[in-house]
Amino acid sequence: MEILSALIVLTLIKATPIIYAALGGVISERSGVINIGLEGMMAAGAFTAAIVSYATNAPLLGVLAGIVAGGLAGLVLAIAATRFKVDQIVAGTGINLICAGGAAYGLVLVFNQPGASKQVNALGPNYWVLVVLAFALAIALQWLLSRTPWGLRVRACGENPRSVAAAGLDPLALRTFAVTLSGALAGLGGAFLSIGELNLYSDGMTAGRGFIALAAVIFGRWNPLGATAASVVFGLFEALQYVLQGKISWLPADAMQALPYIAALIALAGVTGRVRAPASDGVPY
Amino acid sequence: MPALELRSIRKTFPGVVAVDDADLVLYPGEIHALVGENGAGKSTLSAIAFAELKPDSGTVIAHGTVGLVHQHFELVGRLRVWENVLLGREPRRGWTIDAHAARKRVRDIAERNGLRIDPDAVVETLPIGVQQRVELLRELDREPSVLLLDEPTAALAPSEIESFFQTVKALAACGTAIMIVTHKLQEVMAYSSTVTVMRHGRITATMPTASTTAEAIAQAMVGGEIPKVAAREERPLAPCLSIRTGDISLDVRSGEIVGIAGVEGNGQTTLADSITGMIPYDGTLSIERNGRPPLGVIPQDRQAEALVLAWSIVDNVMLGRQQVLRRGALLDRERARTDAQTIAQRFDVRAANLDVAVKTLSGGNQQKIVVGRALIDEPALVLAYNPTRGIDVGAAALVQSRLIEARNRGAAVLLISFELDELLAVADRIAVMYRGRITGEFERIAFDRGAIGRLMAGLA
Repeated sequence: MEILSALIVLTLIKATPIIYAALGGVISERSGVINIGLEGMMAAGAFTAAIVSYATNAPLLGVLAGIVAGGLAGLVLAIAATRFKVDQIVAGTGINLICAGGAAYGLVLVFNQPGASKQVNALGPNYWVLVVLAFALAIALQWLLSRTPWGLRVRACGENPRSVAAAGLDPLALRTFAVTLSGALAGLGGAFLSIGELNLYSDGMTAGRGFIALAAVIFGRWNPLGATAASVVFGLFEALQYVLQGKISWLPADAMQALPYIAALIALAGVTGRVRAPASDGVPY
Repeated sequence: MPALELRSIRKTFPGVVAVDDADLVLYPGEIHALVGENGAGKSTLSAIAFAELKPDSGTVIAHGTVGLVHQHFELVGRLRVWENVLLGREPRRGWTIDAHAARKRVRDIAERNGLRIDPDAVVETLPIGVQQRVELLRELDREPSVLLLDEPTAALAPSEIESFFQTVKALAACGTAIMIVTHKLQEVMAYSSTVTVMRHGRITATMPTASTTAEAIAQAMVGGEIPKVAAREERPLAPCLSIRTGDISLDVRSGEIVGIAGVEGNGQTTLADSITGMIPYDGTLSIERNGRPPLGVIPQDRQAEALVLAWSIVDNVMLGRQQVLRRGALLDRERARTDAQTIAQRFDVRAANLDVAVKTLSGGNQQKIVVGRALIDEPALVLAYNPTRGIDVGAAALVQSRLIEARNRGAAVLLISFELDELLAVADRIAVMYRGRITGEFERIAFDRGAIGRLMAGLA
């Protein structure tokens, strides 16, 4: 029983950053921009949150700074993808590299040490607020997308941006906003990693969660609630790895750590061909 | 008072003057046809009228709003009809869309204009004609005083065309100024009140439709005589293509054009794809090569199947000709360039140069490249699937002449067309397809429009 409740708690904690990033992925892709840069935007959020919390001793400011940092990275991708029509995969990959590299360099600049930051003030027990907020945001986004004029326009933009233009709206403005919001959400997920779950930033701490989130977007059929459910599944596998560690002696720890990634791979292979992406997902306007 | 005035409009694109010193005035209640060959500047001029493009010089005065129904519908297939119609002008209740009011509004506009539509239908499940109604409703919701229709009947079936023009007439009767961009002269004659002809970016004539003839308009479009389909030559015929499958038994001989008549969707695509090897077939299919490349193909959908739109003319001319252009392990680009030049000359392709992306060309010029490429290696068999669909009379006559030339030099030509008139004009023999089978064959001497039409409808 104890192990079950521990598993549930750990699943929710591990799912939270993936949910934020996946919600960001949903918004971006529904507007027609593939956000392969989620991973980097998470790193930007995680690093900035740690730095600002270190400088101000106010973890809440750190969280806000993480949101802003992710949003800025999102804005860069948005401008590259809309204004300059750069290939979205290339631009997103660039953002992943810049954010990871920038954070590694930033550690040396600020803390004079590579690899990880010093310990900083974290949210502590208050991180529960962010866990609950993730699920609340999922419901809110589902409602926004399906019920509001903005949601209808974003969906239309991801399917056929010319229809949006024909209706007298600006598809590029819609996409820019959506991708920026996407980055802000991923940044919030990153902040949860560094000063929610832990109390420091270390290199590579996002560990592919941005990509797992992309898988969750597809597995959840581009719906906020679906992507959230998929994130919880991936969170469960990550949690399992901790709970089972040392219990199954014949399985090496490395193989355990690979669990969530293997789960993502299997999930994607299973849904391929049975789900339908927004028609203009990844197509510049 | 005019609803829309275009005065001394000039618009250039790199290397081309698209519109030159054009004047066009639209009055409430008139149905004004704007005709011209592909690339004559019609689309540019209507984009300027819609304020989608800015002219280099000249003035646009619109009294009221201008609506544009695009040739390629700008709809979202996965959304519902009402969502498409009211996108950008959604009725609200608080933060959310008032779906109830939205449905009612769409139903009201539809009813007022005599259009039948289910506001909750998902657009991609609707037939093309109904999708166009959705596109039209979106413009009508804005109560435009000027409505521009760009090739509105290009995708419609004959029965849909008739009901479409009933709607247009009713709109005009209510005082909307309507401009129809088209190159279908029958429709111009049947439904328009005024006609304006464009040629090479200039307006060459504006006249009341009642005081002119289709021939006169066609002449103003091409600037002289319409190229006549070249004369036939008689010669003994050797078999080239032979198909024997469960449903189809067909022979095409070298030096003849065999037309496949039939309503769209009666197995023509299966036939074409079997010949090109796109799909497997039961039975036998052979092509007598006579020492030539076996097959030149003019696919049905030039943008999806024939061209890489982002590539240059030269690169597109290389596509599918790897065997011909091979020089050791490489491809002979110089020869491809020469070929592209030959095609551009023989087909009068209007492009700034041979290195521009084909997506910048008009549909007619794109098609000329596709046809030119299919014929340039003088293949034993030419498969032409609706080779003149969506292109203007001048270009169509040119394409037809080139097919006849190919036949005269000894090629077997299989011409699949949804336009019976085209087959009657060009083919030496016509086979009718109905539900995947060939239900009848007619030699030229026995061509009978009525009999062929009955077979096409499955009545005989």
